Amino acid sequence: MPFREVNSKMIEATVAPGQRLFSQRGAMLAYKGEVSFTPNIQGGQGGVMSMIGRRVANEATPLMTVEGSGTVLFGHGGHHIEVINLTGDTLFVEADRLLAFDGTLEQGTMFMGSQGGVMGMVRGQVTGQGLFTTTLKGHGAVAVMAHGGIIEVPITPQRPVHVDPQAYVAHHGDVRNKLSTALGWRDMVGRGSGEAFQLELSGNGAVFVQASEEKL
Amino acid sequence: MFRLQGSKVLAVDMTGDAVKAKNGSMVAYDGQMDFKKLSGGGEGVRGMVTRRLTGEQMTLMEVKGHGTCWFADRASEINLVGLQGDKLFVESSNLLATDSGLRTGTSFTGMRGASQGNGLFTTTIEGHGQAAIMSDGPAVVLRVSSQYPLTVDPGAYIAHQGNLRQSFQSGVTFRTFMGEGGGEAFQIRFEGDGLVYVQPSERNTIGGEV
Repeated sequence: MPFREVNSKMIEATVAPGQRLFSQRGAMLAYKGEVSFTPNIQGGQGGVMSMIGRRVANEATPLMTVEGSGTVLFGHGGHHIEVINLTGDTLFVEADRLLAFDGTLEQGTMFMGSQGGVMGMVRGQVTGQGLFTTTLKGHGAVAVMAHGGIIEVPITPQRPVHVDPQAYVAHHGDVRNKLSTALGWRDMVGRGSGEAFQLELSGNGAVFVQASEEKL
Repeated sequence: MFRLQGSKVLAVDMTGDAVKAKNGSMVAYDGQMDFKKLSGGGEGVRGMVTRRLTGEQMTLMEVKGHGTCWFADRASEINLVGLQGDKLFVESSNLLATDSGLRTGTSFTGMRGASQGNGLFTTTIEGHGQAAIMSDGPAVVLRVSSQYPLTVDPGAYIAHQGNLRQSFQSGVTFRTFMGEGGGEAFQIRFEGDGLVYVQPSERNTIGGEV
């Protein structure tokens, strides 16, 4: 377990020789020991093609590689941080919410428009997530940032969960997501309840929701 | 049934009943929910007219259904207040959600409202049930009794309940006009018996500037 929560807004990561971490560039607060930070032009793993993929998908957040032996404190912008442990499943998260993750995780970019066709494209626009999202797969830990703390809501086949697109942070597991609209005549005449668009997540897994409607 | 999940998220378990919540404050739900905008403040046409006239417009929505609904707003801390027939006075901007058993209305506050930068009117909540109020930082609840009156900064005041009289105090002296004021030119004084909720943060008020 490389990440330890110091308080709700800071984490401590342990790095050992041969192990590496990726973190958002500039998110290091302090470190002990012999640790080196190398800016990662490729924005993650997987060689030049992955880099181009990320650039095209606009999921390229400046990352740095953290190597050496010692402990590093990470934090960014006073945002709340949640450590999510992955055990073989895939986490879907927006690249700019990623604070740090284990080097053992496999990073990828996924086209979200393929889920749900036209509605998938609309969803990307409405949620401001764009058409692509970052995926992390494997065994390891991920530190994710959110405004105002995170709650985890489990998703089971019988109980789909609806999430406000602005409050959505990440999800993992075998989950399908689609944008559902509750647009009615009330919205047309300016008397909407402010909940016209919702992200409907169904399947098996969990969704992480932040206590705020603010983007990072 | 209101419960807090952490200090910033309110979870409401519903079985066909309705709760009123601030417009757009839902972050997630499971089960079946229906969202309908209410025109704020008090009930009925009379309530609507008062609201229009007073400017104490809170845009509320009615949430109805089966399942669990989570509410949060801009990462504000949430405080649960239980009401047993008494009346809660709260700034509309600090109200997150109320139970179906509670009625909301508008009342006149006078000079106090103006000093808080919230207008001359405030929202009242009455009945039996639970209300969730928001504060910037964890709120403290201060008890006021007849021997111990309480004076609070208008910018830090969020709500009060019970049998309280409030008066407006001004500490404006010639120094204030010289630009040497202490930043605490106005205060609200509570006397009587009840509770006052204060947040560890100050809104921008006229009093804070001088």
